[in-house]
Amino acid sequence: MNAIEPASAAQLAPPPVLHVEGLSVSYRTGERVATPIRGLDLTLRAGEIVGLIGETGSGKSTLALALLGLVRSPGRIVSGKLLFGGRDLLAMPPDERRAVRGRDIAIIVQNPRASLNPLLRIGRQIGYVYRSRAHSSAAETRRQTIELLREVGINDPERRVDAYAHELSGGMAQRALIAMALASRPKLLVADEPTSGLDVTIQAQFLDQMWQTVQHSGSAALLIAKEVGIIANYCDRVLVLHEGRIAEDQPVRAFFRAPLHPYSRAVLALQRDGAAKLSGVAMAAGATTRPLISANGLSKHFPVRNSAKVVQAVSDVTLDIWPGETLGLVGESGSGKTTVGRCFVRLTETTAGHIVYHGRDLERLSGSELRQARAKLQIVLQDPFDSLNPRWTVAELLGEPFRIHTKLGRAERRQRAADLLKVVDLEADLLDRRPRGLGAGAMQRLNIARALATKPDFIVLDEPTSVLSPSAIVSLVALLRRIQVEFGVSYLFISHDLTTVRYLCHRVAVMYLGQIVETGAVEQVFARPRHPYARALLSAHLDPDPANRRVDRRSDEQLKGEIPSPIDLPVGCYLASRCPHVLPRCGEQPQNLVPLADGRSVRCWRVATGDLTGDALTGPLV
Amino acid sequence: MGRYIVKRVAVGLVQLIGLTVAVFFLIRLLPADPASRLVGMNPSREAYEQARHQLGLDQPLLTQLGAYLGLSSSGPGLLEGDFGTSWVTSSPVGSEIATYLPVTLELVTISFLIAFLVSVPIGMVGALNPGGRSDKAVFVYGLFAGSQPEFWWGLLFVYVFFFALGWAPAPLGSLSPMTSPPPSVTGFLTIDSLLAGQPDVFVEALQHLVLPVATLVFVLSGPIVKMVRQNMARALRADFVLYANCAGLPPARVARYALRAAMAPSMTLIGILYGFMLGGAVLVENVFSLPGIGQYAVRAVLAYDYPAIQGVVLVITALSLVVYLGIDLIHAAIDPRIVH
Repeated sequence: MNAIEPASAAQLAPPPVLHVEGLSVSYRTGERVATPIRGLDLTLRAGEIVGLIGETGSGKSTLALALLGLVRSPGRIVSGKLLFGGRDLLAMPPDERRAVRGRDIAIIVQNPRASLNPLLRIGRQIGYVYRSRAHSSAAETRRQTIELLREVGINDPERRVDAYAHELSGGMAQRALIAMALASRPKLLVADEPTSGLDVTIQAQFLDQMWQTVQHSGSAALLIAKEVGIIANYCDRVLVLHEGRIAEDQPVRAFFRAPLHPYSRAVLALQRDGAAKLSGVAMAAGATTRPLISANGLSKHFPVRNSAKVVQAVSDVTLDIWPGETLGLVGESGSGKTTVGRCFVRLTETTAGHIVYHGRDLERLSGSELRQARAKLQIVLQDPFDSLNPRWTVAELLGEPFRIHTKLGRAERRQRAADLLKVVDLEADLLDRRPRGLGAGAMQRLNIARALATKPDFIVLDEPTSVLSPSAIVSLVALLRRIQVEFGVSYLFISHDLTTVRYLCHRVAVMYLGQIVETGAVEQVFARPRHPYARALLSAHLDPDPANRRVDRRSDEQLKGEIPSPIDLPVGCYLASRCPHVLPRCGEQPQNLVPLADGRSVRCWRVATGDLTGDALTGPLV
Repeated sequence: MGRYIVKRVAVGLVQLIGLTVAVFFLIRLLPADPASRLVGMNPSREAYEQARHQLGLDQPLLTQLGAYLGLSSSGPGLLEGDFGTSWVTSSPVGSEIATYLPVTLELVTISFLIAFLVSVPIGMVGALNPGGRSDKAVFVYGLFAGSQPEFWWGLLFVYVFFFALGWAPAPLGSLSPMTSPPPSVTGFLTIDSLLAGQPDVFVEALQHLVLPVATLVFVLSGPIVKMVRQNMARALRADFVLYANCAGLPPARVARYALRAAMAPSMTLIGILYGFMLGGAVLVENVFSLPGIGQYAVRAVLAYDYPAIQGVVLVITALSLVVYLGIDLIHAAIDPRIVH
């Protein structure tokens, strides 16, 4: 009896790959000593993917590196054991420890392009890693490298093996990095926010691949993530890092059902309450017959240096925005969203097409008329830090629009600035502070307050939430809604964050390579997207629902490869090279945005002719 | 790449022509009278006028410029590659520069090579152990070497190694006064002596180069070490070096990653330093009585020898442009992100 029990226990829990005991990491700067990791214990077992979450600055990345026995200078591992296969990594001679790194433990980091040597071809770099474990000839190494690149899903690896890091897209650089990490079939993979900065469709491709690799090789993986959606969809177990220790350790379903630690509860509540509080945006009903502002056949080309070719950033975009409405503009990076937003407020001159505001062509306005119109058309930019002059006080920043557009005196401007602060829920005592030291959320509020100064009726919001923490996003979206109800402004909300778009917008337009491929009411498009690209985009979105994991259902909506260059665009459908529903005709025939019976428009002939019906995507979406 | 070089050379030629014209007028703004200098004290009116006429100074400025460039019928000019004739020595400026320039080139190039070979490892060691003993020693050295002018170090070296210890030959030129120089082919003593099959002259030339080169190396190493150390320290903090460690690459490989990344920006500064030293080596040339281009330039300026001044400025500028182009090409070869 006694002899059997340990065996069955071992069957229940696979053997540990890495066992960490009492790990502490500290940084000394001058007299101050910071200890982000304090006596941390953790165990990773074979065949499982363990998710790790924690607040910004809680030491997740420090921990990831420390698991390899490395710390960024001037940090030091001050105590603890890293038992890898029963041997303490920290007690090994340096040469042996180095051999374990890369051979048995591999890491994928947040910033793939910076992690590749910019001066060497990626094939060389992968080859060095490969040859540091296996002695092989140059030709054999190259063959193996190409094979590795093919395995991680890089198209045309024979050519890419000779590329430099700057010639790769973020997604491809991440794959090159994973090829390097997997070169020796490691027993443990540490992935530190591997998909931050990647587009959702690429993120899905990447995580699917990582999941398969771990399943097939029986290795262990630690996946550090910011979004709980990733955790829910790919992890078996969840760890919460708090104050330098593992504060919670639960199987993924239990974690989402009943989170134990206050931080976990806060993170999950944020997602749910945010959804409840914000759903059902009522559009200000108006008897208007004319859109507030519209784009007609908008195109924008940028010249390519030393070449007669052009980058077609935007081609033939037609959009109407009605008074009091929010139009969401979604799409992956490089799809032309930002350019469209800039054309709307005439920050960029259009190549073709018109922006019509209150029935008048923006480009035909005279200087003084344009100035008046500019007061009514505002923009809030993506980076709140760079859009505020750090040398100005808040009173000066918020008073500037009044100085330009009104004849108010200094005291009155200050009063107006104080009023604006109140509108965006900031304290009035900020007036004499400078933006430095404020959080990203507060800075973005300042930008919004500044945009509101001239009582605009249209604001372009260019990814205003992309650098904010989850809680700041929720409160900013609530603020934007309140402002819309109070002041009746219309928004063009540009974002790749589908959750936020869902909560804030009335209508949505999906962009791909400078074109709108689908546009319609938010409920319509999100519940049942029709265009193959919109379907792929929405199906790649990860819900924080472990009962309906992406890895458990098969999706045929996946796109192949990467977004093509906007310089040499295909003749026919721009998606033809990646589309799972492609037919020969798609590559030959240019596609037009065709209105459907249900009120939306789709740029796909198969959808327009009813050839491609498309069911609702499986599972509830966001 | 070929197109880029052609373009750079074309732009360089335009720069040179602009510079020629600018220098031509700037010199003539000097409150100097070369003719009176040439004829000496208390000349007769006729002699003075004669001298002015000989030098062409009685002509309008534009005519003088035309003659210098070779646009008038008076004879070959700059555009045909003729730098004109020195007003002091009456020999062609071109051939004079050809005898003086190699001395400086030899001195500065050898100094740079050695300074580079010495400084890079020192800078690397400092960056690899920041705050370590060698790092601190390098810091003190950089402070020390850079804070005194090179002629001061030159004099000190002469005092110690020639006068006190007697290890080095007297600072009296490129060769000892008793040795007859080999026939001039390239103008570089070290090369010419080998071409002439005179190894003893070669050795002697090297011996005479030791102290001036040591002086320049000593002074140049300061900034180069500092720069390599900073660039290297920055490269070592880069994510790709951290990742190379994560991937378990051997330390030597990781150091080479960082060194290459550090070298690219360092090359630019080295190029600028080199161009600067072509004219700036004059102090060291003076201390060691080396007949270099700096000495020639100083003499030309003091004698108001206009063609010689213009020739020197042009040649040094052209050399600097060539060096900059070379550095840019090397930079591009190190760093694939730079596309010409």
